[in-house]
Amino acid sequence: MAELNIRNVHMHFSGVVALDGVTFDVKEGEIFSLIGPNGSGKSTLFNCINGFNRPQKGTIKFNNVNLLKKRPHQVITNGIARTFQNIQNVPFMTILDNILLGAHKRINFQSTVKGWINREQRQKEEAMGLEILDFLGIANYEQKYMAGQPFGIQKLTEIARALVAKPKLILLDEPAAGMNEQETVEIAKIISEIREDLGITVLVVEHDMNLVMSISDRICVLDSGKILAIGQPEEVKNHPDVIKAFLGDSADA
Amino acid sequence: MKGRYEKENLYWIPLLIGFIFLLPFLLKYATFSYKYYLFVLNIAGIYIILAVGLDLLSGYTGLISLGHAAFLAIGAYTSAILVDQAGLPFMMSLIISPLIAGLFGLVIGFPALRITGMYLGLTTMGFGFIVKRLIISLREWTHGAGGLEVSSPVLFGYTIKSDWDNYYLIFTFAILAVVVGRRIGKSKIGRAFMAIRDSEQAAEASGIHLAKYKMLAFFISGLFAGFAGVLFAHTSHFISTDHFDMMLSIYFIIMVLVGGVSSIYGAVLGTLFIVLLDNLFVPQLEDWIHGYLNTNTGDIQSLIFGLIMFLFIIFQPFGLYGMWLKIRIYWRIFPFNPRKRFT
Ligand SMILES: Nc1ncnc2c1ncn2[C@@H]1O[C@H](COP(=O)(O)OP(=O)(O)OP(=O)(O)O)[C@@H](O)[C@H]1O
Ligand SMILES: [Mg+2]
Repeated sequence: MAELNIRNVHMHFSGVVALDGVTFDVKEGEIFSLIGPNGSGKSTLFNCINGFNRPQKGTIKFNNVNLLKKRPHQVITNGIARTFQNIQNVPFMTILDNILLGAHKRINFQSTVKGWINREQRQKEEAMGLEILDFLGIANYEQKYMAGQPFGIQKLTEIARALVAKPKLILLDEPAAGMNEQETVEIAKIISEIREDLGITVLVVEHDMNLVMSISDRICVLDSGKILAIGQPEEVKNHPDVIKAFLGDSADA
Repeated sequence: MKGRYEKENLYWIPLLIGFIFLLPFLLKYATFSYKYYLFVLNIAGIYIILAVGLDLLSGYTGLISLGHAAFLAIGAYTSAILVDQAGLPFMMSLIISPLIAGLFGLVIGFPALRITGMYLGLTTMGFGFIVKRLIISLREWTHGAGGLEVSSPVLFGYTIKSDWDNYYLIFTFAILAVVVGRRIGKSKIGRAFMAIRDSEQAAEASGIHLAKYKMLAFFISGLFAGFAGVLFAHTSHFISTDHFDMMLSIYFIIMVLVGGVSSIYGAVLGTLFIVLLDNLFVPQLEDWIHGYLNTNTGDIQSLIFGLIMFLFIIFQPFGLYGMWLKIRIYWRIFPFNPRKRFT
């Protein structure tokens, strides 16, 4: 079972407690949302799963593999890809090349060298990226340089870069942040399709409550590194602590 | 899905290669001093090989090297010693000497795992000084600061002597270096390099082992520079530590910078621009200025290169190649040009 198990994770940065005993499971095929006010530790949790941060206590397992023993570049080979809250891409590479970056582990050294003399091999590589571009509906952007592209395209490229690795679980850190209403609807559709069409489990951090409520199977609410509530959208929405701590001051904003 | 991306125009490549091979004849036809021009072009060809490797390191991967003349020196001295003192055939040295320079690249790449930017610049500069001292102190083999005579290259029993023959030798390898450099740059290795430069986080999350790829960048770069060094030693017939000084390293970085970082064609353009400027234009300017001012040789050169670097950093950070791309895009979409491209 492709399951993510997070158990009692504690993480503090010299005094600042970012995660304080977080425990939950993400089941295979689920769209699981992580919400909470700014600084509640959502990105820190992603960084723990991804190996960028090492929690002081607790365990994180994916398919019974202990992720805390993996270095960041090994996590993707265990089937977990991610995007970043602040876009991380390579401005002076084309969009297609930016996406192919995510296919790094799917291309071995042998086929790289073969690709130096064999054009078909290179086209096979490119096809990996083009497939995802088609899936996201931005195929006409393939040859454009990343620099100067609209924000929405940059965010989609990040998602594409994660998808091209063919992960089992994808971590999306605020995919709709900074998007307008129409783009947000588009993102919601894409997240659903990632699960329906590609069969990838989704763990998403997002502030847009409409988006979260409409796509999630389950939601976990974090506040100051602690879990306030966890459950289906309806349960979470009506949870008194949640209304007080989070929805109360930012739901209608 | 096939052919959607690779619709690049390639017809100009055979034309260009044909031109490169005809150039000596054209020069001979056009001018009496064609031998001098050939000599200058040979230098350019050798430096193109080095600049391609340096671009992969400093342009693509963003690891600045201010000691690249040292790799050139390692390649040159290793080959001179292997061929003239150990009696190895030139063709063998052409493989072994660059590998040794590449290994030195790994040695200097090691501290680069921890430091970047200006500190790396200083470290590599220090590496340049150390190599120079080392060469001088290994007097038995290198003749110290006195310099070393080097034999002509021998390929398949044929001794390559004239600048004319050297030209063909050098440019065959220069073309090869450009092709290999571009292939590396466009493959997953080049993508990994650029990702390391622009976002280590994205690189690691994509499965790129940072240390491994940084070391690889240094190794490849050392390899190219070492190769250039072998050709340099055997085509100029004399090497001395004076030639491989810090100014030369800086000169190399300027070539990459002027051409436009992370573009192999840019490195080629930058090298041609700087070498031709240095050998054809600067001496004339120097003569002219001498009529009015009492300057030392080298002053004008430093001044001009300082100025060029300054102007490019401020006005053309994407270099000559970036300029060319902009011009091309400008005309393709003329007259519907937006105000700003390449923000
Ligand atoms: N590398 C770090 N060093 C020190 N403190 C950190 C570091 N990373 C995160 N923190 C702190 O940990 C806390 C949680 O931060 P985190 O980025 O996880 O919040 P978040 O829930 O993602 O917030 P946002 O909604 O703003 O993205 C914050 O107080 C932050 O300042
Ligand atoms: Mg965050």
